[in-house]
Amino acid sequence: MNCHDMEERISLYAGGDLRPEEAAGVERHVAECAGCQLLLSGLWESLRLLREAHCEPVDEAHFAAVRARVMSRIERGRSPWWRQVWVYAAAVAVVALLVVAVRPVRKSAPVPLPRVATSVGGAAAPVRGRPPGRPALPPRNSAGKVRPARRRSAPPAQKAEEPAQPLVVKLLTNDPDVVIYWITDTKGE
Amino acid sequence: MAAPVEGSDAHARAIAAARAGDLAAFETVMRQYERMVLLTAMRLLGNIEDAKDASQEVFLRLYRNLDKVEASSNFSGWLYRVTVNVCRDMGRKRTASVPMEEAPDLASGADDPQQAATGAERQRVLRMSLRLLSEKERAVVVLRDLEGLSTEEVARALGSSEATVRSQISKARVKMRNFVERYFRRRV
Repeated sequence: MNCHDMEERISLYAGGDLRPEEAAGVERHVAECAGCQLLLSGLWESLRLLREAHCEPVDEAHFAAVRARVMSRIERGRSPWWRQVWVYAAAVAVVALLVVAVRPVRKSAPVPLPRVATSVGGAAAPVRGRPPGRPALPPRNSAGKVRPARRRSAPPAQKAEEPAQPLVVKLLTNDPDVVIYWITDTKGE
Repeated sequence: MAAPVEGSDAHARAIAAARAGDLAAFETVMRQYERMVLLTAMRLLGNIEDAKDASQEVFLRLYRNLDKVEASSNFSGWLYRVTVNVCRDMGRKRTASVPMEEAPDLASGADDPQQAATGAERQRVLRMSLRLLSEKERAVVVLRDLEGLSTEEVARALGSSEATVRSQISKARVKMRNFVERYFRRRV
């Protein structure tokens, strides 16, 4: 068996993991092989160093912290259900109170509502397709009588193609210098 | 390091009392095994904060399973098995996000600065050499070489065969030896 094949056995031998008959075989080989002696001494040295590092004292605070956390979790789990419910209910109530208390109070001065004028002509009134002013009069004949409206022969499709007139609403406020015009299309947009 | 001696009357009484709801008795049991659990977790996970989280989980599982553990003759074997499992789960979650960090030193501060420096260096070598190993090799080395369990106990704790444990530990020892040699040769 060559040195490469012996490596696994020497490694097990270093940690005391071989049966006596296997260990004897390793000892015989190592006694004659300088390379394997070096390997074995290195294994022993590294094992000693790592075991020493593992056995160094540990700060007691780490254990105390774990103990405290475990006991706290166990005690929390052991409290009766009705006490836990009360704790959760109280927490929710406190949060709700805080939300109400912290919420910003909006104090706004009362704004007078605009007065909507409904007069037609100079005053504000919903006017479809015309600026405020004199309403259109029906056509009259020479005798001053109202002519009946002539039937138009245009197809109704043409009527539909006419652009929709916007709706203009004039709002008068208490301030005579401020007049608000509200212009919307027929769809109310 | 050998596990605490089990099977004594005091040990059995403490477990029985803890099972009956005596929290002080449970704390006594915890004190008996806390070093074993925390250090094992520390070596498996590589940093003290994760090790504390793992220890907490192990003892909570112990508390929830006191009935089953009492029947088990191998109390520390059960704890080792649970510790390895908890650390394995935590390690898998962590590798997705956080790499194994350079952990703060676990040892308490020594009075002699020279000794403290040597101790810190040894801790560093141990931590780095364990990082070289695969998850299974690390578990085998920690239980066999650092905690001092027998090959049979390690196999039982890890749910594998003795032959597998022997194969893994021989490879792991050679890897660690090579690392330690390289580390100190470079330092010199």
